[in-house]
Amino acid sequence: MANHAITVTVNGVKERVDVPSNMTLLEMLRQRLALTGAKNGCGAGECGACTVLLDGEPVNACMVLAAEVDGAAVVTVEGLAQDGQLSAVQQAFVEEGGVQCGFCTPGMLISAHALLQRNPRPTEDEIREALVGNLCRCTGYTRIVRAVQKAAQGGVE
Amino acid sequence: MPESIVGQSVGRVDARAKVTGAAQFPGDLVLPGMLHGKILFAGRPHARVLGVDAAAALAVPGVVAVLTAADVPVNEYGLQTADQPVLCGPGSSRPGADVVRWEGDHVAVVVAESAEAAARGRDLVRVEYEGLPLLTDPFAALEPGALLLHPHKPASEIHPELNVPGNLLSHHQLRKGDVAAAWAEADVIVEAEYRTPSQEHAYLQPEAGLAYIDEEGRVTVAVAGQWTWEDQRQIAHALDVPPEAVRVIYPAIGGAFGGREDMSLQIVLALAAWKLRRPVKIIWSRQESIVGHCKRHPMWFQCRWGARRDGKLVAAQVRVVADGGAYCYTTNKVLGNTTVTCTGPYEIPNVWVDVDGVYTNNPPFGAFRGFGAPQGIFAAEMQMNKLARALGMDPVEVRLKNLLRDESLTAMGTPLPGGVSLVEVTARCAEAAGWRKTLSGWARPLCPPRPETPHLRRGIGLAVALKNIGFSFGYQENCWAKIELQGEREIERATVYLGAAEVGQGSHTAIQQMAAEALGLRREYVQLVMSDTATSPGSSGSVSASRMTFMAGNAVRGAAESALRLWQAEERPAVAEYVYLAPPTTPFDPETGHGVPNFAYGYVAEAVEVEVDVETGELHLLRVVCANDVGKAVNPRMVEGQIEGGIAQAVGWAVMENLVTEGGRVRSDRLSTYLIPSALDVPGQIDAVIVEHPDPRGPWGVRGMGEMPFIPLAPALVAAVHDATGIWFDELPLTPERIVSGLTGKGTETRRP
Repeated sequence: MANHAITVTVNGVKERVDVPSNMTLLEMLRQRLALTGAKNGCGAGECGACTVLLDGEPVNACMVLAAEVDGAAVVTVEGLAQDGQLSAVQQAFVEEGGVQCGFCTPGMLISAHALLQRNPRPTEDEIREALVGNLCRCTGYTRIVRAVQKAAQGGVE
Repeated sequence: MPESIVGQSVGRVDARAKVTGAAQFPGDLVLPGMLHGKILFAGRPHARVLGVDAAAALAVPGVVAVLTAADVPVNEYGLQTADQPVLCGPGSSRPGADVVRWEGDHVAVVVAESAEAAARGRDLVRVEYEGLPLLTDPFAALEPGALLLHPHKPASEIHPELNVPGNLLSHHQLRKGDVAAAWAEADVIVEAEYRTPSQEHAYLQPEAGLAYIDEEGRVTVAVAGQWTWEDQRQIAHALDVPPEAVRVIYPAIGGAFGGREDMSLQIVLALAAWKLRRPVKIIWSRQESIVGHCKRHPMWFQCRWGARRDGKLVAAQVRVVADGGAYCYTTNKVLGNTTVTCTGPYEIPNVWVDVDGVYTNNPPFGAFRGFGAPQGIFAAEMQMNKLARALGMDPVEVRLKNLLRDESLTAMGTPLPGGVSLVEVTARCAEAAGWRKTLSGWARPLCPPRPETPHLRRGIGLAVALKNIGFSFGYQENCWAKIELQGEREIERATVYLGAAEVGQGSHTAIQQMAAEALGLRREYVQLVMSDTATSPGSSGSVSASRMTFMAGNAVRGAAESALRLWQAEERPAVAEYVYLAPPTTPFDPETGHGVPNFAYGYVAEAVEVEVDVETGELHLLRVVCANDVGKAVNPRMVEGQIEGGIAQAVGWAVMENLVTEGGRVRSDRLSTYLIPSALDVPGQIDAVIVEHPDPRGPWGVRGMGEMPFIPLAPALVAAVHDATGIWFDELPLTPERIVSGLTGKGTETRRP
């Protein structure tokens, strides 16, 4: 299998990685860079637990080949807090009870973060629409939606 | 003394780690020199394994070992009865372990230096099978002369309901009064058949784990489960080592809902690390997870209930057949709950109930939020809502005439433990949902049709449920805890040791709150050491049956009292262990079912408002009201989270989830074919009414609650659809196809008396 030497900026840090052609971005993050925040819940782009930002856009990292991200910027859940300070959406998830088992949380946070970047004042319908690709089996989504609303009202994002 | 911490919506102890990505789930764990394992599933539901040829697999570069049935010292396991082989194949230490009984049976585990090599090796293991006839219909499996799936079934000393012949897995029965004679007293009789479907847990974290030999030489398995002590016991049994030689640790667990009550890859992981003396990691794909673990029991109900004109129930006759699948798992306990719940939360003078679990070649069916109560309550509350219609009575009014109260005799011939609040939760739910008290009794809100959208019909429905808390039916329920107080003049730190799993529901946070309360300390002083058999050698029991807060609270309170006494006596550190023993229960009497099956119950009522598109068959859940007596909400925000999450999961079961099997094989083995609710599929509004009617046996009055919000949702929803359309649906899920065929007269119409 051919290897590709790529350069990618992950959470603001420039990384040089040798990746096989069939390695996914998710595998690269978890296995090569020890960033295990993004989760593998299905490996098929169906659950959203692996959602990361790729050049600002939320993508399922299990559906992107690592070789494709050469030169790109990736943000994972580990990149949301700055200097130990939780982002507004992380803080709102903690305060509103948007977290239960926590396995969907990293992907959910990235999708919510991306939504607030492009639409700082979303309606409830817009929030639900934006999170439709992120499955959660614990919360029933009520508190997740409320957390995103709270983060939006905070206006920090 | 700081202000009371029990009752405050404090933040979760694990929230920060979970929002920063720092929380370590089993699949995130790594160790140097770690090997990777892949399990070969049988892929066929019924066959005899004649031989396993691992030569080609072993030739794959990187493959270290291929383990088969002959490598398992005691090749059997099971939570209730050891009827399942660890690995199926010849040369096994147990009779019948050469037969695969479902497609998810394990045949071999391939261990290699990389996951890729292990997968390549697994695909090259050659297995010779002799096909055996398939039994996928529980009714066919019960026919005389049917092929026996477990001819070597061992007799159970502790579970008499399992000692039944043929493919019968378990049997329960209730006999109260004289049902045959009682029909003459009934002015109205409702007869119907119901079918409730299976359900896949679909927790977001597929099974995974890491096994290694720890610094004290113990085979250690870090995995997601629900009961560390029991996993340890079962692993030790299969490896034929003492339990102390095995250590089980639960890191962060990505959901469970009962699906991790029985084990999946624990023994195989331990076996590989124990044989190879190196760390071994296994991660299941989503397909392996859906194929490889148990599901909710599908059930068939035949019900005949009678009532007098004044609404009083006189008799209920219920026959239940449940598909138990290939192995027992918790079928007998699940069906014990179905037995208790299938005549509803009502006092009925004459009861006849028969509940059979049956072995088939389908996936094993086991624990899933509600443990058989959602199925039993579905049938009971469908009957009750139909009776209300037949009697021309309001559904709340007819319930209030029949609900169990303190001192009422249940179908088991004994009263419920004191503090029954069924009337209160029903009234609180009805009021919050818009019912009015009139001179002639309760009256439901009307949902008049709107002329501008004639294809959208609105309706409202209600259902009530009870369910036991904790393990019971004669089992002596228990919970171990230890508290260590450190400091000199003042307590500077309290450390709480408990086995309880944190599966997302918030058990660790609740335990910290209760320990702080019992010790009179701020929460920040209370450190938790949880979910590790090395530090919590006693059994704290399973995180299931809505029991953990109730049981751990009592255990922590006992340990805190003892530790504080030692502290007063100047012991430093002051260390106390405590085992809380719940009030004893009794097994069902084999003839009558009479006894005291449970020591505590939760009570819940739900009302559902729905809009039905009669052209497309689509349902929109506008609002759900849930009145749940939790006794005492230790953390109200987490209680509301359980209510919202339980309702969403019940909506999935009632409306959209559809496990498709064909010849015993699961066809909907992905999240794109097995659909669970997304953020757009859940009710638009959920109103949680937290009722706090203290349980005298619960810590601070706590009852359990994790399962309750799930239980009455489906029958309340079907009643709402009936209110909207005039049609009863006796089978779930209410997919658009089923709704449309019901509305066009092709579906099952209720036979009216």
